[in-house]
Amino acid sequence: MQEVRFLGRGGQGAVIAAELLAQAAFLDGKIPQSFPFFGVERRGAPVTAYARVSSEPIEVRGSIATPDAVVVLDRGLLRFAGATDGLRENGWVLVNAPASVQAFAAPAGIRLASVDAARIAVDHHLGSPTLPIVNTAILGALARVTGIVSLDALERAIAAAVPRKPQENRAAARAGFEEVRPLTDPRSRLPLPPPRPRRELPLPEGPLALRSSEEILTASWRSLRPQIDLSRCTRCNFCWKYCPDVAITLDAEGYPKLEEEHCKGCGICAEVCPPKTIAMVAEA
Amino acid sequence: MARLTIPKEELLRPGHAACPGCGPALAVRLLLKGLGARTIVSIPASCWTVIAGTYPSSALGVPVLDTPIESTGASISGLRAAADALGLEGLTVVGLAGDGGTADIGLQALSGMLERRTDAIYVMYDNEAYMNTGIQRSGATPLGAWTTTTPVSASARGKAEPKKDVMSIVLAHRPAYAATANPSFPEDLVAKAEKARAVHGARFLHLFTPCPPGWKFDSADSVAMGRLATETGLFPLYEVEDGRLKITRRYSRLKPVGEYLSRQGRYSHLTPQEVDAVQAEVLRGWVGLLRREAEAGPAHDAPSASLLTR
Ligand SMILES: Cc1ncc(C[n+]2csc(CCOP(=O)(O)OP(=O)(O)O)c2C)c(N)n1
Ligand code: SF4
Ligand code: SF4
Repeated sequence: MQEVRFLGRGGQGAVIAAELLAQAAFLDGKIPQSFPFFGVERRGAPVTAYARVSSEPIEVRGSIATPDAVVVLDRGLLRFAGATDGLRENGWVLVNAPASVQAFAAPAGIRLASVDAARIAVDHHLGSPTLPIVNTAILGALARVTGIVSLDALERAIAAAVPRKPQENRAAARAGFEEVRPLTDPRSRLPLPPPRPRRELPLPEGPLALRSSEEILTASWRSLRPQIDLSRCTRCNFCWKYCPDVAITLDAEGYPKLEEEHCKGCGICAEVCPPKTIAMVAEA
Repeated sequence: MARLTIPKEELLRPGHAACPGCGPALAVRLLLKGLGARTIVSIPASCWTVIAGTYPSSALGVPVLDTPIESTGASISGLRAAADALGLEGLTVVGLAGDGGTADIGLQALSGMLERRTDAIYVMYDNEAYMNTGIQRSGATPLGAWTTTTPVSASARGKAEPKKDVMSIVLAHRPAYAATANPSFPEDLVAKAEKARAVHGARFLHLFTPCPPGWKFDSADSVAMGRLATETGLFPLYEVEDGRLKITRRYSRLKPVGEYLSRQGRYSHLTPQEVDAVQAEVLRGWVGLLRREAEAGPAHDAPSASLLTR
């Protein structure tokens, strides 16, 4: 049995990717399974989905702790601990990244590959340049490096199950299959992010929810971050006033401060700032 | 440093589970600044259930009651009765429901609460569809808007029916206070929340809350979208106190509705003729509002005795 974990963001198509992989495996005569992790499906929020492919009936249910491959639709998610946890010896980490990016946080003893699925998607008019739909391109790449499904079955699954632009999606899968690059240079491995310290708090005894959502760090939802040029700030406090995530506070002098751990990168602050001192810049 | 125009205290906490750029999240952040910490909120199934989070953690610095979707109005009547029985003083009881949970599923309970003159504030945050379950049309979805249940195809043009006028239904119950507000105008929203808190009796707030994924626009434009809705006259800001209607943001000229509609994917199929039809409807609504404001004497002022037969 082969097990695959997909990591993406809401809106990128990670759940559909897992489903398409399962359908292709079925067309190959295998027994598949696929399902998403049940969590918030908000645009930008990290989304995890799973697929299992076997030649025997699959008895296990539940999430995949020790995958054979981790498919990363948004490489920003490798900034956070846990992305590649449990990956098996010699397993694959396949990352959607432009050719210019050559190194990724990955554990030792695994195989690494990347494919510019975003560019392939844009070339095939899938999604928009800011939100390309990368799932079919990266599935082509996965088929190539792991051999988990045949390209032919993948194309047939796409043709049968993708309602919009099936031809473009098939072509994107073929391009992903052709263009995927294994990264064998040891310098392509960066150290893993440090594990996040776990704060074990006692459960409240009464009926009240005593713990604050502040423990939940929503920084992982963000692919753009606001950069505030304080030298031009007029202290109008608009950014503070309009942030839906309470991610900007004001210091004693009235200057804004970004609360890094919670900002979701929506871009409202940059948009409402009258002197335009806030720029949204790419993470990682 | 510019003076703060709204209270500094935050009763919405970071780490909540709203989408980036969520209008309902910003609206409630501002709402609670006006209502203050001695508030208890009843929330029916909606995006806001998810935003507030799962036990044992909460994104709100005030107590929350999770309520079935149809019973927000009944639940706040019950909370008020319980607070009174316990002798709790100075407590503001609030129901916070989406437009689906208000205009459709919870309409009966809302009507009951208003008719009983429950001493509570019912807040409808209007993102114009059932968003938490993936963008299904509600009674409050506007004419022409795409949703997953009002598709756009060769034979369908989005929602075929106009938006349900919840405010008129509410006003027919003669509430103590009712107002529209919009988080793109924070001072106005906070002022109305403060005013609603100070009044006793049944109160209602209709909050206009843009939803980037549901309306298909970029999260950065959430505040701009709210501003345009009011500046075009599509969502006028007003309040009704003891039956007297007062516009709280007045414009001598309105922006064309096209500026608002053209920035949202849910309206991208509209033809110039369809935009013109929306424009005509908006102007009719605005003129009607001006007229109602001018008729300062409310319908339920003491009727003149000369109307009676002798
Ligand atoms: C009786 C009942 N029917 C359906 C549901 C499923 N449900 C959960 S949230 C939701 C959407 C509510 O929409 P709305 O009130 O507009 O709030 P929004 O999600 O847009 O914030 C629905 C239909 C439910 N919880 N209870
Ligand atoms: S981008 Fe700006 S407005 Fe949006 S969550 Fe981050 S700090 Fe708040
Ligand atoms: S779907 Fe819309 S209303 Fe619901 S959390 Fe997301 S932005 Fe807010």
